[in-house]
Amino acid sequence: MAALADEKKPQQEEARHVTIDVGDGAAIPSKRDAGLFTAWRVAFFGAIAIIVYLAVVRPDPYLDIIKFVPDGILVTFEVTVLSILLALVIGLFTGLGRIAKNPLINGIASLYVEVIRGIPLLVQLFYLYFALGRIVHMPPLLSAVLAMGICYGAYMGEIFRAGIQSIPKGQTEAARSLGMSNSQSMYHVILPQAFRTILPPVGNEFVALLKDSSLVSILAVADLLRRGREFAAESFTYFETYTIVALVYLIITLFLSKLISIMEERIGAE
Amino acid sequence: MQNDSRRKMVEMKGVVKFFGSLKALDNVSLNVYDGEKVVIIGPSGSGKSTLLRSVNRLEEINAGSIVVDGFEITDPKTNINKVREEVGMVFQQFNVFPHKTVLENLTLAQKVVRKRSKSDAEKIAKDLLAKVGILEKAREYPTRLSGGQQQRVAIARALAMQPKLMLFDEPTSALDPEMIGEVLDVMVKLAKEGMTMIVVTHEMGFAREVSDRVIFMDEGRILEEGTPEHFFKNPAHERARQFMRQIL
Repeated sequence: MAALADEKKPQQEEARHVTIDVGDGAAIPSKRDAGLFTAWRVAFFGAIAIIVYLAVVRPDPYLDIIKFVPDGILVTFEVTVLSILLALVIGLFTGLGRIAKNPLINGIASLYVEVIRGIPLLVQLFYLYFALGRIVHMPPLLSAVLAMGICYGAYMGEIFRAGIQSIPKGQTEAARSLGMSNSQSMYHVILPQAFRTILPPVGNEFVALLKDSSLVSILAVADLLRRGREFAAESFTYFETYTIVALVYLIITLFLSKLISIMEERIGAE
Repeated sequence: MQNDSRRKMVEMKGVVKFFGSLKALDNVSLNVYDGEKVVIIGPSGSGKSTLLRSVNRLEEINAGSIVVDGFEITDPKTNINKVREEVGMVFQQFNVFPHKTVLENLTLAQKVVRKRSKSDAEKIAKDLLAKVGILEKAREYPTRLSGGQQQRVAIARALAMQPKLMLFDEPTSALDPEMIGEVLDVMVKLAKEGMTMIVVTHEMGFAREVSDRVIFMDEGRILEEGTPEHFFKNPAHERARQFMRQIL
């Protein structure tokens, strides 16, 4: 019907930057939200101060804990980065599948999104490692990355889909009318523009995934939480250990959120 | 006026297009000959944009046939991308690529579709930018340009493919009045060079200056066609007379 609407349209194209709300990441501090901005500072520097204070005032057991858990931080990052890379690849194809005209491809992509989003991540981890593990045995890290990547791929697919659909139809028409094929116009014209729109929500997913990566500790992957559990189980210092673990997660999450907000502002400023 | 021994660039026969239950094109037949400049006018919703967009299959028609440059484009076996290479299109909303510089806007399809080398593509692009008068903006991003400049980039981008036919879909309708002239100037220049053009526009001054034929559409049909002078002086249909009174 739009093709028939001949009335004059505004000179500028529709707004380029579409905010895609994904509510499962950390709150992103921004200068527009003064309350949150202050809260970020209080939480971030407060957490650091408490860790330093505890380490100095009660080195036993706090200093020992602080020496023991950092190995897990690396594993947490390893799981997070590998999972997010897998999720990005899956998400791109899922997003393309969700907008595909081919009913089979569209159906598969949509079914994947529906099924995965309907099952808790913890259950998916159990399923992949313990249930499927009886058929195909996989090392815990691989299971963890696969499960997290497949799960977040479904969410990422929706971000890609929304990002692609946020690009005005005229861009595709212009590319196609120059003789580009569907995939050429997607690759050269649509996706580069969509990436700018989806970068902030992808960053958000990254933070959310980092937090959820603590679930992999149940698969005997020696991540931050798992290291904490090991230390606590040996020393019976549950309160002290989990205090430090929680603070370390908080510091990492807040730091990443800040990075994302800086990135978001850079993109917005362009 | 028409000499049928001339080569037909576009041949539409009995074209029908529905949007839902709305008949946007109702049994439209139209020939456009090599080198001809055809202007399509008509009220809002008369189907003129749909007609234009069906020529390069941006709209798929429901019945009839459209032959462009010798290819039946409704035939699923026809590679529509090959046909589109030869048919340039300019949109009301410009649709320049905001993530590419002006120069890259002109070179992208040349490289990807025409497989030209970077240096060949850039040479052609720069010549065209000079022709439309914005060579000095080659390294800028189009969002920093005015509407008139963006539309000239869009025209140059289409010309960079060296098409045989150019389609213009209300190219000046989204422009501020002071920018309309600069875009029309480029189009007049192009017409005088002999480009085959189909132009949907309300700019009757342009029609008078360059067009061979004006086509008046109403409710998905071609109601009347004739020279620009014919429409200025004495259109046959009451609907056409009414329309001319409104736009002049």
